[in-house]
Amino acid sequence: MLSGLFNSTTIPALGEVLNFAQARHTVLAGNIANVNTPGYRLRDLSQTEFQQRLKEAITASRTSAQAVSPGLAYSEPGDPMRQVRSSLENLVYHDNTNIDLEKQVAEMTKNHLLHNFALTVMTDQFQLLQSAISERV
Amino acid sequence: MLPALDISTSALVAQRIRLDAVSSNLANLNSLERDASGNMQPYQSRYVIFQTDEALETKQGAVGVKVASVQTEQIEPLYRWQPSHPYAIKDGPKKGYVAYPNVNMTAEMVDALVATRAYEANIGAMELSKNMAQQSLRILG
Repeated sequence: MLSGLFNSTTIPALGEVLNFAQARHTVLAGNIANVNTPGYRLRDLSQTEFQQRLKEAITASRTSAQAVSPGLAYSEPGDPMRQVRSSLENLVYHDNTNIDLEKQVAEMTKNHLLHNFALTVMTDQFQLLQSAISERV
Repeated sequence: MLPALDISTSALVAQRIRLDAVSSNLANLNSLERDASGNMQPYQSRYVIFQTDEALETKQGAVGVKVASVQTEQIEPLYRWQPSHPYAIKDGPKKGYVAYPNVNMTAEMVDALVATRAYEANIGAMELSKNMAQQSLRILG
């Protein structure tokens, strides 16, 4: 019964966006931590790839009356979601790294805003459910 | 959120160790140290080697950093002509010269600046992690 309650809202899809934003935040923090490590190459989680998977999952959930299943943000090594966007690629320095600190911080900020935005919308959905349950606006 | 905090903390620790090495080099611009065979040699610069820390690797590919080792340089010391110095070289082609440390002050100061900048960037990342975790609590209403 509870799953039916949530599946009609966008809460499962937003939950996946939150998972992805948190996983990407960890990867970007790892990039900033390794800014001075020789030989370290940029790592990232591809947003376009994740959006593609989310779109497919939402379409599938509409046609088959199944929930958007958790685990969309999960990826194995070698997964296409783990590629770095070409606009983030940088020249390779003498210590074999290619990290641009300003771009990483900017990406982290954008990711942070996406996370908080999804969180706000999700909170609103829960408030709607709550007001429907308590029959009080 | 918690892995991101651990990863950023590992970077703070690594950069601080690097700053310690820089401070040591700048403090010992003119000192001697005892080497393995007990002789007094001019101070050689210390430098750190960073490495990704597999112990902090998450399933999504984020990885921390650690100091793999602190190495000692092996470069030629500076020689100054001081024949009456107690540590002047007694014989050989460098007779009458005293060996002094050859620490490159400019390179060390630039290293300190880079370490400080990386430290601040990681503090910024930690602030964002904290903010994300606190915002998530807002779902509870």
